[in-house]
Amino acid sequence: MSNWLDRGLGFAVPLLIALLVSALVLLAIGENPLDTFSLMLTEGFGSPRRLASTLSAATPLLFTAVGTAICFRAGVFNVGVDGAFLIGGLAAVVAGFSLPAELGWSLVPICLAVGALFGAAWLFIPGWLLARLEVDEVVSTLMLNFIAVAITGYLVNGPFLSRQSGNNVTPPVHEAAELSRLMPPGTLHSGFLLALAVLVAYAFWTRRTPAGLEGAWVGLNRRFSRVVGVSVQRTIILAMVLSGIVGGLGGAAHGLGQLHRFTDGFSAGYGFTGMAVALLAHNSPLGMLIGAILFGALASAGTTIQLFSDIPLDLVNIIQGIVMIFAVIELGRIGIRRRVKA
Amino acid sequence: MTRIALGATEIRKSYGSVLANQGISLSVGPGEIHAVVGENGAGKSTLMRVLQGIERPDSGHVTVMDRDVSFAGPADALAEGIGMVHQEFMLAPDLSLLENLVLGDEPLRWGRGAFALIDWQSAEAQGRGLAERIGIEVDWHRRAGAAPVHIQQFVEIIRLLRRGSRILILDEPTAVLAPQQVNELFDLVRRIREDGTAILFISHKIGEVMALADRVTVIRQGKIAFSAAVAETSGEEIASHIVDGSNPVGGEIRRGTPGPVVLDVAGLSAEAVEKSHPLHDISFAVHSGEIVGLAGVAGNGQVELMEALSGLRQAKGRVELAGIDLGGLDAERRRAAGMGYISPDRRHEGLAIDASIEENAIAGSHRASPISNGLWVDRGAMKRVALERLNRLSVKYGALRDPVASLSGGNQQRVVFARETAGSPQLLLVSQPTRGVDLNGIAAIHSILRDFRDADGAVLLVSEELDELQMLSDRIMVMAQGRIVGALDADADRREIGRLMVMEGVGA
Repeated sequence: MSNWLDRGLGFAVPLLIALLVSALVLLAIGENPLDTFSLMLTEGFGSPRRLASTLSAATPLLFTAVGTAICFRAGVFNVGVDGAFLIGGLAAVVAGFSLPAELGWSLVPICLAVGALFGAAWLFIPGWLLARLEVDEVVSTLMLNFIAVAITGYLVNGPFLSRQSGNNVTPPVHEAAELSRLMPPGTLHSGFLLALAVLVAYAFWTRRTPAGLEGAWVGLNRRFSRVVGVSVQRTIILAMVLSGIVGGLGGAAHGLGQLHRFTDGFSAGYGFTGMAVALLAHNSPLGMLIGAILFGALASAGTTIQLFSDIPLDLVNIIQGIVMIFAVIELGRIGIRRRVKA
Repeated sequence: MTRIALGATEIRKSYGSVLANQGISLSVGPGEIHAVVGENGAGKSTLMRVLQGIERPDSGHVTVMDRDVSFAGPADALAEGIGMVHQEFMLAPDLSLLENLVLGDEPLRWGRGAFALIDWQSAEAQGRGLAERIGIEVDWHRRAGAAPVHIQQFVEIIRLLRRGSRILILDEPTAVLAPQQVNELFDLVRRIREDGTAILFISHKIGEVMALADRVTVIRQGKIAFSAAVAETSGEEIASHIVDGSNPVGGEIRRGTPGPVVLDVAGLSAEAVEKSHPLHDISFAVHSGEIVGLAGVAGNGQVELMEALSGLRQAKGRVELAGIDLGGLDAERRRAAGMGYISPDRRHEGLAIDASIEENAIAGSHRASPISNGLWVDRGAMKRVALERLNRLSVKYGALRDPVASLSGGNQQRVVFARETAGSPQLLLVSQPTRGVDLNGIAAIHSILRDFRDADGAVLLVSEELDELQMLSDRIMVMAQGRIVGALDADADRREIGRLMVMEGVGA
């Protein structure tokens, strides 16, 4: 029971403080905080259409949060889910427009699988380097993010540049490769359902598979894991690969469902927002669902309150930023644990 | 004339129910080196913390230069001239040795306070003078982190002398030094002694105590076990007091009936953990139905041997378990071959202390039937297995989901035994099984070990408690400096065991 309370508080306290600070900011600029917050609530959850928009914004965060949590709970400090998201997204989109359109309905699973495969291969690299050569995973995954941005940026401006648009985008994927929209004309797509399925699979994996149990033990105590016959190296590589699969799937869903193509700036920092969600949720599935929807609501409400009031978009950034500070505090605690272990 | 440079009288200090110091008295005079020895957890560190003003004793008092003093904090002790050289050096690695020397008490010129300049010439002159006085050479402009460890240590000592310390406490100063550096340190300490500085020398290496100290005091279980002038005692006598138990654990002594060979080790060698000894060409056998005790002063290769046997440490040589060659097998395969391992470090290796009692009880069996079919975990079966194991060894716990950290030390250790004996292994490797366990828990763990032995199990037992070894074992081997130096009957004379434990000299 106390566990549930703890997980709930993971978000409640940061959010409350963020709202307090933004209320002060609002008062200072002469706005009524209560009116503003109720407007944000309405814009985030007020109607089925607005709710759909929130869930749509939450979709990539669900993928990246789960991808991060898989590694963090195993004590693998992987900050490279953003890179897997980019690589998986581009690979899936390229498959989506270059494979023959005649494949029909099977295009979707094929493209998703391609995205997952590329994501997995991408994070296998730092996983192998860490397990075999003890190359620090924070450094390697962070660097791989830069490489992913550079590679996808190059490809989308060169070999895969759309001839029609010429504007840093690939051609659109075949219609058959698009994920179905759940509430047209809104952008909520079936990738959200896939994200929920991944979340459930994660919950199942952590509690009901031998490898999931081992992940937690390796995260808690590597020496213990070795003594009870768990291969720490294998567990680390598996966590990275699974994280890459989820990140790559997330990118694929974003490309096939949201944008229908790959663009420069494909990921709006989803990997890092997802990391904050995983950190604040302490890797719990329910906590990550709440966190992703919360950040999704902030993003979707933020873009529209500007239209209906004098409140600047920066307010949303303030709220997000303050919640992020708590994520960074959590990060610092993990960092201290890492150093103590080493 | 000063008779007592630093003295402790009837110091008592307890932490909760742990009586760390139970009336300790000792003193060191000017120009004297007084060694304090004892096992880890004997109470040495607590005493030193009291002498440095870090801890206040519950009762008793400290004497400095024949005056009773009371320290409000470490600064008071420093002001009284007590300086401590820690095991881990306290130098700032990115500053030069000279900067480290004067840090916190810089010689100044031109002006005062924050506006003054540091007089580096005078600082260097002071450093050179002090180094010359104790007969060493220091390159003062070297970065501290880049200087050899013994030079760093010398600079720390010089720094304390410069600050006016007349009493030095050296906390296991040789732990990080090579043999040649140890000799240099000892020469330096002897020269400091000639200046009339009083030195408390904390160690658990008996050879060093014999070589350096004038007087030796053995602390065991929070009390003074022995104190004598070094000239009037011997290494064997000191060793026997370090391990000698004053309150033996109750329980009958019952020997086993050995059967065929279970563990056969030949020519085993392995690298050392820090501050310890590598293994040299170790050969022995353990039979079914017997407990073989391994005695030795801590840090003589016991940890290395157990890790090499359990597959946690790379090793050369032949290890056979019931005729099966374990060469090249990792810990996972050695477990599967029928080996259980009770780690000496329960909190950091024996258990995942923040994981649930349930998971700690079943870890290692989580991939096999009935808990798993290889793909999925059956939580119901997992719970049943955990309950069955915990009940078999009567572990007392609140709920299966509670973290194992919520249990007492004795019950934590029972969880480890419940897990490691569950698959009926042929061999149990057991290290320090009763460390940090209360008396009832000790009796229970002893009977678990005897029951395992009586069911034809083979046990290799490492313990720093000689009582425990002699009560449980069917025969005893003694380890010193990474070698097995002797094999005796379990009821052999302790002085003989003590003699073997200190077989070789300093740094050999």
